[in-house]
Amino acid sequence: MENNYTYAIEAKNLVKKYKGFELNIPDFEIPKGFTTALIGENGAGKTTLLNMLAGLKLDYKGNIRFFDTNDAADETVKERIGYTGPGCYFLPQWTIRQVGEISELLFDGFDKTRYEEICGELGITKEKLGGKGKKVSDLSDGNRMKLMIAGVLARETQLLIMDEPASPLDPLMRDELCNRIRAYIEQGNGDKTVLCSTHNIADMENVTDYAIIMEHGKIVEEGFVEDLKEKYILIKGDVQDADKIQEYLYDCNKSSYGFEGMILSENLDKLAGTDISTETPTLSQISVAVMRANTDLKLKR
Amino acid sequence: MRILQSSGIPIYQQIADQLREDIVQGRLKAGEELPSIRGLAKELKISVITTMKAYEQLQSEGYVTAMQGKGFYVNAQDTDMIREQNVRKVEAALANAITAAGYAGMQEEELIDTLRMLIRLKKTD
Repeated sequence: MENNYTYAIEAKNLVKKYKGFELNIPDFEIPKGFTTALIGENGAGKTTLLNMLAGLKLDYKGNIRFFDTNDAADETVKERIGYTGPGCYFLPQWTIRQVGEISELLFDGFDKTRYEEICGELGITKEKLGGKGKKVSDLSDGNRMKLMIAGVLARETQLLIMDEPASPLDPLMRDELCNRIRAYIEQGNGDKTVLCSTHNIADMENVTDYAIIMEHGKIVEEGFVEDLKEKYILIKGDVQDADKIQEYLYDCNKSSYGFEGMILSENLDKLAGTDISTETPTLSQISVAVMRANTDLKLKR
Repeated sequence: MRILQSSGIPIYQQIADQLREDIVQGRLKAGEELPSIRGLAKELKISVITTMKAYEQLQSEGYVTAMQGKGFYVNAQDTDMIREQNVRKVEAALANAITAAGYAGMQEEELIDTLRMLIRLKKTD
């Protein structure tokens, strides 16, 4: 797609080994000024990768560079990155107010007034629920995620790394999360970047610019969403054609009535003469096809 | 601008079509700046890359120019080209009318009379 963009993150030769699992990514780049979604099965290595990028995991091999800075030890880099994760990094006995006070001490660019505003807008500090005096331990999973989102949005950052931000949120809040991400990206006018892992691809389809699909610790597909939508074509046809077409299909689902499958656009002309319908796939459909083609699971077709 | 999520027309195409229409009809004038890519994405609740693809299409068609680091600006329009495009639209609409007339069993004379009547009605508007 557009060629004149730079990277918010560039990493080389990332390797991290566990028993029975190896993350191995020779080249890793996140375009600056866009929202990137990290997609993959449970256990594909998304959280491991995000933890490495966020500085939560340091015992890995390879080089990670942020914002074109050559000095990896540059401490100002960390100030410019916000992270939210599936676990909660606030102590359980802290109140919502105290989370704000402590964040103010921890981060130079933290705006406590803005933090309390966002908490109010996201409905975490309703008076009848205990207001700002409510303890972190008394919050639901969804509200705890909202609290972390409020915490990073109240900081002056250039990069947000979010591990499964949508999962604990209700549909209304997922929509709001997307709005907040778009507002963050707009505010940066090309300088702010979001990287998040998600299983909720459909909910985040209209905010995702770049997609990275991981499997077994490796990247199996990546690209700008509009380019992926040209690379893959969704085809549907009658059951009698399924067998003769199958060898060209990237992914195929047969039923008693017909078949549905994904084909690389470059192979479409090989189907000339068969009666098929074509459709532009959604990011969810592309992701599922790519994941199915790369999984170890023996799924029934 | 309105975006339909399930119309079958890609979203970038819908944006490009509507902006092109605005330019051709003169609602967006030469030299005017298009909304920022990220601002429009936020307003329309779509991704940045989709908006970017729409703008790139308009650029490749010669309607707008990208100014490095600034944004997209509407080009002065070639009036012959605009006329040509409008003529093509008329042809397409008439072709549709002819097809529908076929379904209705209308003869050529009746179709032409209808067209003449519609033109007269439009004039007296």
